[in-house]
Amino acid sequence: MTGAFDFAPAIALLPLAAFAVALFGGNYLPKRGALAGITALVGSLVLSIWALVTVAGGETYDADLYTFVAGQDTLSLHLGILIDPLSALMLVIVSLIALLVFVFSLGYMNDEDETGLPRYYAELSLFSFSMLAFVFADNLLMAFMFFELVGLCSYLLIGFWFREAGPSSAAKKAFLVTRFGDYFFLVGTVGIFATFGTGMFAGSESFPHMAEQALAGEHSVRTFLGLGEQAWFTVLGLLVLGGVIGKSAQFPLHTWLPDAMEGPTPVSALIHAATMVAAGVYLVARMYGFYLLSPTALGVIALVGGFTALFAASMALVKQELKQVLAYSTISQYGYMMLALGGGGYVAAVFHLTTHAIFKALLFLGAGSVIIAMHHNENMWDMGGLKDKMPVTYYAFLSGSLALAGIFPFAGFWSKDEVLYETLIHGFGGSPLLLAGYAMGLLAVAFTGFYTFRMVFLTFHGEPRTADAEDPHGVRWNVKLPLAVLGILAAVAGVINLAPVEKVTGIHLTFLHDWLDMAPDSFGTAVHHYTGDHGLMHEFAGYTAAHPLGETGTVLVGAAISLGLALAGAGLAYRLYAVPSPTEHTDKLGSLKTLLMNNYYQDEYQVWLARDVTLPLSRAADTFDQSVIDGVVNATSSVSLFAGERVRRIQTGLVTHYATLITLSLVALLVVFGYLGGWF
Amino acid sequence: MLLEALLASVLLGAGIVALAPNRYAGKLAAAISLVPLVGSLYLWSAFDGVANALLSGGEPAFETTIAWIDLAGYQLQWHVGLDGVSVPLVILTTILTTAAIVSAWTPIDERESQFYALVLLLEAGLLGVFAALDFFLWFVFWEVVLVPMYFLIAIWGGPRRKYAAIKFFVYTNVASLAMFIGFIALVFGLGDSVTTLGLPEITQALQEPGALGEFAGLGPAALKAAAFFAMFAGFAVKVPMVPFHTWLPDAHVEAPTPVSVLLAGVLLKMGTYALLRFNFTMLPDVAKANAEIIAIFAVVSVIYGALLALAQRDLKRIVAYSSISSMGYVLLGLIAYTVHGLGGATFQMVSHGFISGLMFMVVGVIYNQTHTRMVGDMSGLADRMPVTVGIFVAAAFGYMGLPLMSGFAAEVLIFLGAFPSTVLPGAPIFTALAMFGIVIVAGYLLLAMQRTLFGPFSLATDYELGRAPVHDVAPLVVLLACVIALGVAPDLFYGMIQDAVRPILELGGGV
Amino acid sequence: MVGVTHYLVLSAAVFAIGVFGILTRRNALLFLMSVELMLNAANINLVAFSLHYGNLSGQVFALFVMALAAAEVAIGLGIILVLDRNFGGIDVTVPTTMRR
Repeated sequence: MTGAFDFAPAIALLPLAAFAVALFGGNYLPKRGALAGITALVGSLVLSIWALVTVAGGETYDADLYTFVAGQDTLSLHLGILIDPLSALMLVIVSLIALLVFVFSLGYMNDEDETGLPRYYAELSLFSFSMLAFVFADNLLMAFMFFELVGLCSYLLIGFWFREAGPSSAAKKAFLVTRFGDYFFLVGTVGIFATFGTGMFAGSESFPHMAEQALAGEHSVRTFLGLGEQAWFTVLGLLVLGGVIGKSAQFPLHTWLPDAMEGPTPVSALIHAATMVAAGVYLVARMYGFYLLSPTALGVIALVGGFTALFAASMALVKQELKQVLAYSTISQYGYMMLALGGGGYVAAVFHLTTHAIFKALLFLGAGSVIIAMHHNENMWDMGGLKDKMPVTYYAFLSGSLALAGIFPFAGFWSKDEVLYETLIHGFGGSPLLLAGYAMGLLAVAFTGFYTFRMVFLTFHGEPRTADAEDPHGVRWNVKLPLAVLGILAAVAGVINLAPVEKVTGIHLTFLHDWLDMAPDSFGTAVHHYTGDHGLMHEFAGYTAAHPLGETGTVLVGAAISLGLALAGAGLAYRLYAVPSPTEHTDKLGSLKTLLMNNYYQDEYQVWLARDVTLPLSRAADTFDQSVIDGVVNATSSVSLFAGERVRRIQTGLVTHYATLITLSLVALLVVFGYLGGWF
Repeated sequence: MLLEALLASVLLGAGIVALAPNRYAGKLAAAISLVPLVGSLYLWSAFDGVANALLSGGEPAFETTIAWIDLAGYQLQWHVGLDGVSVPLVILTTILTTAAIVSAWTPIDERESQFYALVLLLEAGLLGVFAALDFFLWFVFWEVVLVPMYFLIAIWGGPRRKYAAIKFFVYTNVASLAMFIGFIALVFGLGDSVTTLGLPEITQALQEPGALGEFAGLGPAALKAAAFFAMFAGFAVKVPMVPFHTWLPDAHVEAPTPVSVLLAGVLLKMGTYALLRFNFTMLPDVAKANAEIIAIFAVVSVIYGALLALAQRDLKRIVAYSSISSMGYVLLGLIAYTVHGLGGATFQMVSHGFISGLMFMVVGVIYNQTHTRMVGDMSGLADRMPVTVGIFVAAAFGYMGLPLMSGFAAEVLIFLGAFPSTVLPGAPIFTALAMFGIVIVAGYLLLAMQRTLFGPFSLATDYELGRAPVHDVAPLVVLLACVIALGVAPDLFYGMIQDAVRPILELGGGV
Repeated sequence: MVGVTHYLVLSAAVFAIGVFGILTRRNALLFLMSVELMLNAANINLVAFSLHYGNLSGQVFALFVMALAAAEVAIGLGIILVLDRNFGGIDVTVPTTMRR
């Protein structure tokens, strides 16, 4: 009996085949390889949905398919597939958005007569392969491998327009900064393999399960550096978190993401908004059972998340370029997901991950549509009044913006509200640290409302401010179709988990919660295992929920506060920017604006670290090497050269001198032998 | 007799090529080098060796033992054979030699027949080093390698070729002397318990308690330690390990590209191979007792080598210094004394051979076209040489340890082996420090790529830039295919490697 | 009675004359002659000891040395001719080309 899971490897392998086809045959194909990618992704999407349906039928899959390294008397490394509710959901999201981005690229790249399209589609297909394989990876090492490969694809695609200086520099920065995070991830991975002898995510042989048993005292594992089990697990968790912070662009490794906007806009939509950046958060969710064992690691995740949400949102307030606003908004939104994970809101995080993937991909594609129309000018101050000229783009973009700002009843409202709610109740339940994260998240809601609608009003409303905005370049179906699909999803995707409505009305509406709870007990990845009454969160992390105003009251008040703040931010933007000829009101912030425009000088200090610390250090090392180490080598050889030069002087070239020497030596020898022989 | 046939075909080929007219020498040499290449692949497929050739229970494949000379109470033998450690290195040698010969067609345009004859002679020496199981025979091959290498650098090299060639020759020769004294002292210390200079016999005799006597006023323990460090210093020059590395960048910069390929790809592996065979297999107790010192050497080589690479402007120097860094990983894996540590180190030898060979070759192809290797002298090459640049990018990411390429498998195995090591105190700290190399390597390669390959096109030298000829690109593709194949399926070699290194872990050694 | 001592004294004297000639003269021909003297001093020694011990091998060696001396003269004269041609004289202190 063949089922969906027999075809699971094909979900990733189809795009890999498309990569080969586009790379080697793209120049000879219609649409330069786009069709290969589209075909492959339709296949992946169908197979993913089939897998999703099969999972809905109660089946899951966890199998080692390929032995990467067969260890002899030691650990082996495998590549395998884990399909549980979480990964099935993520597979569908990734393949759906990748497919839409491929279609959109027909309009953004092919219709604009870009060169190098086979390379573009090959890289995009390679990315889809790597990302899908990352999602269904069944162990940490495989996850790391594909985590790195998506980083490669990100590098290649950011640097797609390599003939200009900006993209190649941005690509280098993106890879390097994430590599810095990945360094910690790799150390953590190696540490986890050394500790548990496995990197499996799910099952009784998995490392979260073994760690849990170790802490419960049922089983012992080898720890290192003289640390106790609890402390060592915290160290491992924080090390892996390094990779998460790099990839999901969390403070302080967020600086690469705004620069990554140098890449083509569809790439930004797919990689730098919806999927690759999500890889970090997804990884935390994937091994959530491990993080729940360490309250310290959870606290760090929550604080990093909350701080990043606020910090990035504040920078988005003053940006002038459409994609820059979206980039900082992406960083901020991933901060929310981290806050949720750190705050014990596993479902909330996955929920926000899902809705954000939809609405942020939508916003980027909408921005792409605007950028086509504006002849690749991204400055919002050169736009204005596009609302009537591109209605499909406008309404889709508006839907995404309402979702991003968290306005009722769009998708983002539900997910963001749940993130904040979970953090709040666990904060009141005896973890005051979370309340700090909550406060930062709440303030960021107001900021989000403001920058989102500042962006909408500047771009689409008012009078056109340049000739390009007067007469925008039209876009075709291949741009409008993805926008329409995502626009509708952004409006309605919230229905998958209407937790507040359930709490208030009592009608069962938390479908995502049920879905994620369907993982079999043997996997240990179900929600009740994490956050249920006897779940890890209560047993190990020490989180408890408390409702200061009663359950219904807390839900309603929390939702009202966040909605109110979002509306306040949006309203302020309306007052300031929804006028025919808006002016730059953020100038009133004075030096604060300068600080924000310069991103709190985060880039400067990282560039300083690289250019003014590391490079001089390496030059000093080089000087030391050339002068001291090589100097010693050359000095050693010069000793023999010098000695040779001196000894050579005996060789005068005069036969007489040689003869004299010989004679004298003979006499000397005779004397010596005579003396030793006792003649004297 | 397969190994002998292989060696004979290479030597005979060298003779034929030396006599051939210059015009045909390159193609003839490439054709002849296919014989050992095919032969070595057959050796791989027919390999039936068991365990480690030097240790009891080991049965090397393709073994031949013939008595040769009786000297001072020792019988010298023609004793060759392969085990799981040497087969991958033999294949590495044959593939890289063919690739290097083909890549020499463009840059070498004088005295071709001598050049290719010397390359084949070099190959014979390298194959001999990896196959010999008798110390005398091994030492002959070890020294034979130096001779063609000296001439290849000194005749066909760059402007400072004489300096570089003499430095290379003298430095490594002095190192050989140190190693020779150390080893012979051990043999004399063993006294009557050995009657040949066979490496297996000596290794197994050293495992016998009480077999080692006094020599030159040193008791057994002191003799072991002295011999270990003499050999260690000797091999460290070859590896090369900081601070014995300064001959390497000079030799690489002056050597013509095909010679750099062989120098980085295979010659450096002689050092690590010998470390594994001699120091870490024969004297494990001394190695284990000094684990921290050796690990410090390893970490310093990794980090310091990478920092030096960051400071360079010459593409070849960048790759040369990064080889020092990569060889540091090998040392870290060896001292860990775990299956993945020793196995990963061996795998890294092979993997780095392919990747660094590829890297030097691709730099050479660019040099053939641009006549410069300076980072500041060119930019935007991707515009003019898309295929070459594509391979450059792939090779660079291979160097950075991109998954599904062999460098990743090798490095991860070393890290997985080194981290839980029980031999090395503080192993996790040493491993984590060494792993920081993966960040610096990304830094200097990405920086160099950004400056030379991308951005607007410009070139400081006055040459018309065209696409590279097919015979320049073909060896690149072959090597890249090898890198990816080993990265996707490390078990092609890793199974036999593990089989060969596992017996080393079972040695007692008294610590 | 003329004993072996007398021969040895003669031989030493002849040898000393040869050495003196080499150390003090600069003419290549005189060098050659001095070398001949020294060789013959050795010959006298060989023959004297041969007689003293009643063993003929010493005399055989003397014959060998004579042949050797003849060969040496042949080569030496050749060298001297070349010297004269290349340096315009046979003063041995002039040709110092090999020094560097």
